Amino acid sequence: MHILIVEDDQVARDYLAKGLREVGHTVDVAANGLEGLQMASSLPFELAIVDRMLPKLDGLALVQSLRATGRKMPVLILSALGEVDDRITGLRAGGDDYLTKPYHLAELLARVEALARRGDGGGSEANTKLRLADLELDRMTRRVTRGGKKIELTAREFQLLEFMMRHSGQVVTRTMLLEGVWDYHFDPQTNVIDVHISRLRQAIDKDFEKPLLHTVRGAGYSLREDE
Amino acid sequence: MDQEKRFLGVLTSSPFRIAIVYSILFSIGAVGLLGAVNFAVSRVIDGSTDNLIEAEVQGLREQVLVLSRADFIELVEQRSQDQDVRGAVYLMVDPQLKPVAGNVPAWPTAAEDQGKWVQFKISVPYGDATREHEVRARRFPLPGGFRMLVGHDVQERQDVKTVMMRGLIAAVAATLLLGLGGGIWLGRRILAQAGAISAVATRIMQGDLSQRLPVRDAEDEINKLALEINRMLEKIEQLTLGMRTVLDSAAHDLRTPLNRLQATAEAAMSQLAAGSQERRVVESVSTEVDRMRSTLDALLRIALAETGTVARERVDLSALVESMVELYEPVSEERGLRLQSTVATGAQIQGSRQLLAQLLANLLDNAVKFTPAGGCIQVVLHTANGIVELMVADNGPGIAADKREIVLGRRVRLDEARNFPGSGLGLSLVAAVAKLHGARLILDDAGPGLRVTLRFGP
Repeated sequence: MHILIVEDDQVARDYLAKGLREVGHTVDVAANGLEGLQMASSLPFELAIVDRMLPKLDGLALVQSLRATGRKMPVLILSALGEVDDRITGLRAGGDDYLTKPYHLAELLARVEALARRGDGGGSEANTKLRLADLELDRMTRRVTRGGKKIELTAREFQLLEFMMRHSGQVVTRTMLLEGVWDYHFDPQTNVIDVHISRLRQAIDKDFEKPLLHTVRGAGYSLREDE
Repeated sequence: MDQEKRFLGVLTSSPFRIAIVYSILFSIGAVGLLGAVNFAVSRVIDGSTDNLIEAEVQGLREQVLVLSRADFIELVEQRSQDQDVRGAVYLMVDPQLKPVAGNVPAWPTAAEDQGKWVQFKISVPYGDATREHEVRARRFPLPGGFRMLVGHDVQERQDVKTVMMRGLIAAVAATLLLGLGGGIWLGRRILAQAGAISAVATRIMQGDLSQRLPVRDAEDEINKLALEINRMLEKIEQLTLGMRTVLDSAAHDLRTPLNRLQATAEAAMSQLAAGSQERRVVESVSTEVDRMRSTLDALLRIALAETGTVARERVDLSALVESMVELYEPVSEERGLRLQSTVATGAQIQGSRQLLAQLLANLLDNAVKFTPAGGCIQVVLHTANGIVELMVADNGPGIAADKREIVLGRRVRLDEARNFPGSGLGLSLVAAVAKLHGARLILDDAGPGLRVTLRFGP
């Protein structure tokens, strides 16, 4: 994927570019807002990572200009402010996701993957049935089966599984789950998400030979068929 | 209903009450004044009539001595017919009380006796009909058993009194009506102005500091007050925005190097073999960065909540509490705790959903952390008379009464809590978020354990 990074902090920019290249992306970088806007307008980037406070042209203004000229690529906003309100302003300006500094590269990579999938056109969004190996989730009837056997889930476990299935094959972090399933933006001091995941794992993996729900060390979880 | 409420509002407004009190006082004044005038006028008119009659009686008494009976009758007749003296009444009767002369048809029998004075009614022509007139008269004997009555038609006087009385009643009624009308008008005017002020105040309390009071083109004291308050609001806005700017740059200046540190640590980690001494050192750096980040997040959120500039929305507190309980239920169970909840439906408040969620998360995190296995955590949300009360209680060690106030301050970790992870800002954040929402925060003994209660006003 062709990704643009607009970030004025050189250490952060280099590390980010290196990390993205390591997982196979093509990366271009810009050190200020104006340069970033010029690049974003002239090259067909598939995703942009924009720092919120940039010299020459503010990150939010950059995103707004992009949106105003009809560029629809997903934008991940990085912010050193990161308060509840700032997040809302960031998303209102046209950002698709918002990440507060300091962040772990794993968190950022997971979010980039999720955004890229969304950029595909969101085909899964329209599907009523989600499928992974022998696991099937019907959003209309709210029925979950694995290998044809019905699996009983609570409403929240269903939502959690739906989110995981829509991001199947990707790494999903704890904060992504808290945001995506519960719509909360805070760091819980206790391992609340892990316990929810382990309950879900009990429900979908316990009686089956091949586990689908995997823990990704240092990052989060992934729902996938293990090769 | 709203209309009715507004009307009741006018009735209880201070200008309306003042107007009513004043119109009652004015009415009492008017009654007193007109009563005094009536009394004075009566005395003058009554007195002069009585004097007139007395003089006439005196005159006739002298005449009867010098005139023959026929001449006296002639005189009485003459006077009776005299049109110059309007309302003069004469009657001379023989010993059998048969009228001999005069303009009254019969000797008054049903006359009200008031000593030498009598008062009676006679019929007088009034247009085509007749009308009863009140007459005041004196009777006196004449020689030979004849009797004489001299009096005056006092109906006019009665009429004047009646008119005055009617006027009095009308004046009092008009005063009261004007007072009522004026009171309602003034009350509505003041209520409209007070309403505008309180609407603005509400929006400011909700975090919109750009709001100003409406200023009219008038030189009254309310307008002056509004201008003063606006100047004050200007100052508050400047100070608050200044604080927010300081917060933002502090956040930026702390988060940027932390981010760099995290990036450097992560880059170094990828170069080092897992499990090596060097890698463990770098990992601990990364962990410390995480810890600093969560402390910084908490501090910034506290500071932000304290500036009061957080955007607010309608928050369904019932749904929020239910979802937070549901979020924490598995972790409680895992730790051998029971999480029980009683949540009233439909509790809505104006506030920040994210900060309220953080508040609940901090309370539940604490309860889960400090309550030993086998314990119980209770979450209760109930509403009564527009007051929403949220309570989170556990039966853990609790907080000693003399330390409850202290834990709400910045960065206080009680000795008892040293062995538990956390920034020590949990309850300070709870306090700041409670204050932002105008909620009262009460920490007390759940006997045993800690009970935290938040009371949101109406």
